[in-house]
Amino acid sequence: MKDYILKRIVAVILPFMCMYGFYVILHGASSPGGSFAGGIIVALSFIVFSTIYGLDEGRRILPESVLVWTESFGTLWYGLLGLIGIFKGVPFLANLLAGFKPGTPGSLFSGGLIPLLTLGVGIRVASTMVTLFFTIKEE
Amino acid sequence: MTAGLKTNLPVFIVVIPMFVAFMLPTFARRIKWIEGTVAAVKLLGLAAAAWLAHMVLYEKDFPVKYIMGGWPAPWGIELVIGNLAALFILTIAIVSLPVALFARDNLEKEVGPKQRIARFYVLYLLLIGALAGMAITNDLFNVFVLVEVVTLSCCGLVSSRKGHGAAKAAFNYLILATLGSALVLGGIGFIYILTGHLNMEFASAELGRVWQSSPHTVWMALSFLFVGFGVKAALFPLHVWLPDAHSMAPSPASALLSGLAIKGYIISFMKILYVIFGHTLMQEYGIYRILILIGMVAIIIGSLSALLQKRLKRRLAFSTVAQVGYLFLGLGLANKEGLMGTLLYLVSHAVIKSLLFLAAGAVISATGKENIRDLAGVGRKMPIAMGTFTIASLSLIGLPLLSGFIGKWHLVLGSLGAGDILSVTVIIIGSILCAAYLLPIIRIAYFEPAPEADWQDPGLPQKAALILLAAGVVLLGVLPGPFIELAGRAAAELLLIQ
Amino acid sequence: MKELLEKVVINYPYLAAGILFAIGVLTVLTRSNVFKKLIGINIMESCVFLLFVSAGNIKGGNVPILDTANPKPVYVNPLPSALMLTGIVVSVSVTAFALALIIRLYNSYGTTDLRRIGEMDYEVKKK
Repeated sequence: MKDYILKRIVAVILPFMCMYGFYVILHGASSPGGSFAGGIIVALSFIVFSTIYGLDEGRRILPESVLVWTESFGTLWYGLLGLIGIFKGVPFLANLLAGFKPGTPGSLFSGGLIPLLTLGVGIRVASTMVTLFFTIKEE
Repeated sequence: MTAGLKTNLPVFIVVIPMFVAFMLPTFARRIKWIEGTVAAVKLLGLAAAAWLAHMVLYEKDFPVKYIMGGWPAPWGIELVIGNLAALFILTIAIVSLPVALFARDNLEKEVGPKQRIARFYVLYLLLIGALAGMAITNDLFNVFVLVEVVTLSCCGLVSSRKGHGAAKAAFNYLILATLGSALVLGGIGFIYILTGHLNMEFASAELGRVWQSSPHTVWMALSFLFVGFGVKAALFPLHVWLPDAHSMAPSPASALLSGLAIKGYIISFMKILYVIFGHTLMQEYGIYRILILIGMVAIIIGSLSALLQKRLKRRLAFSTVAQVGYLFLGLGLANKEGLMGTLLYLVSHAVIKSLLFLAAGAVISATGKENIRDLAGVGRKMPIAMGTFTIASLSLIGLPLLSGFIGKWHLVLGSLGAGDILSVTVIIIGSILCAAYLLPIIRIAYFEPAPEADWQDPGLPQKAALILLAAGVVLLGVLPGPFIELAGRAAAELLLIQ
Repeated sequence: MKELLEKVVINYPYLAAGILFAIGVLTVLTRSNVFKKLIGINIMESCVFLLFVSAGNIKGGNVPILDTANPKPVYVNPLPSALMLTGIVVSVSVTAFALALIIRLYNSYGTTDLRRIGEMDYEVKKK
């Protein structure tokens, strides 16, 4: 698209959209929202960018190799966090039992393992959504 | 170290294939690495399954409950390692290793370039992990999620075949299977609304208390689950997607779909019926009679439609419809022998049908001919492929000393125990029809003159895969001891829970 | 009769879920256009979500987030909503996969009508 206004507006709101997405992901433990909703907001910011600036530009800032790596990394992160419990001699994905601090309710790092887990899942959701969009758009 | 490994074994069996599957796309370019990783995961899986079965058989403190994340039962997710789970996980490991071996040389022809082969392996590992999860989970919502994972990876495997027929088959399969999973989810929803529990044992206890006050909701839950799992397991009137999907998929995928995926749904359905609803409710609602009746109809109609097919893979696919009938018939007999028959037949059919599909795939890819009539003389040119095919066919018909016999024998014993002469007759007629649609293939392959053509047995890995599975068929028939023991205990467990 | 009507009116989300489910199943089974089939699937799944979520709802209940100022309010049951979030993720992935398949179908057949595709396959087989 060649529309100047659209391009400027997107350039202004894009960082805020991305940041809001990560906000929703990280506060998934203490407020509505979470990894899936937040991840989709993050993905939407990139999708908006590549619809306005064109698919090639979108591919340039997020090449396929990066997407594949973030996708696998999100899952691996989840698995590794689950393994912490096993190394401490308690069940898989143990939270407080594995020695994570619950924190004060309502603050960012409350809920022990949960914000870390949602971060991994959120990254995975975001990259999967972007990959889906790119693949379907290219077909 | 070994103690930690032992207590966490159930988690590893499910989680390792899944996480490895998600890591595979990162080295999609290096196909050799992927093959090596998949083979390593499968070998580990076989060792773990054998260890698990050994522990379940010879150690006293089983069934073991594993509590995910340390949240105890009504709140958290429980994994239960019992006889049923050990039996099915062992089956998965036995079948999936040769299939992976066979897939190595086959995929390039049927699936295409490297990128797509990598995706095929991703789906393969996801399917294996989710099936193992279905066998051991004790949580209803987990069952739904794993059913969805299995469904999606099956559709992916079907659509991975080159050419446009596969896309159409996969789309039809996806639509019908999603309809089925919406029904399954609805049934689980009714159970949750009635009981307030998702854990199977708690739900069962609560259901025993409340079912008389709202009988219609229980009926709704039962029928939703029945139809949902019926669609997914290709029970007779709902099997319309199966012939297309199973005959269009690449051969290794057909082997997995026919051999394992359907069995996973049946295991889940069995757990839901016998653990949650239990004997009293099933008798009250007349489920047993429905199961037996539908099983018998499926055996007859499935076999007759298999008889009418001209193409090899379609005939095998319709044969699966008939064999699913046996499994449901055993579920409806409601005695120990019947359930044992279902479990043993499930194991042997998994091995036999995957061997049949792999052998058929080897023959079709060597000759390029799909019609049975064109396969004249192939038996003499491809001795290993057709030889293993013959062993599997004889076993499926139910010859003694081969694995299919044991399952059928227990099913007959179960029907006699239930006093149901009609189903004994149907089982025997089913065997005769099975001979009628499988033996002509062997006759054409061995006793008709071969055309001048350069048909050869497949390469060494594929031969090894076929021989491994054939050895499995024979061994299961000659030395079925541990399997009969496991199945007997699982059946007794399921019937005692009521 | 009056009792039954009262029951239906009190449990109106269930009635809505039932009607939507029927619409979804009919659309899936009777339409031959692939997009309509896909929409039917989505309607069907959302009605199951409605069933679950309305089962966990309490009239006048609070959002189930720990509030230190008001220690003992009536909470809405969060479990069905959490489960349905998973259900939504599953349905999104089914939709995405189906769309990809539709693109493949359209590329090879040039139509999105399943009946037409069946006819084309039949003609190819006859030749």
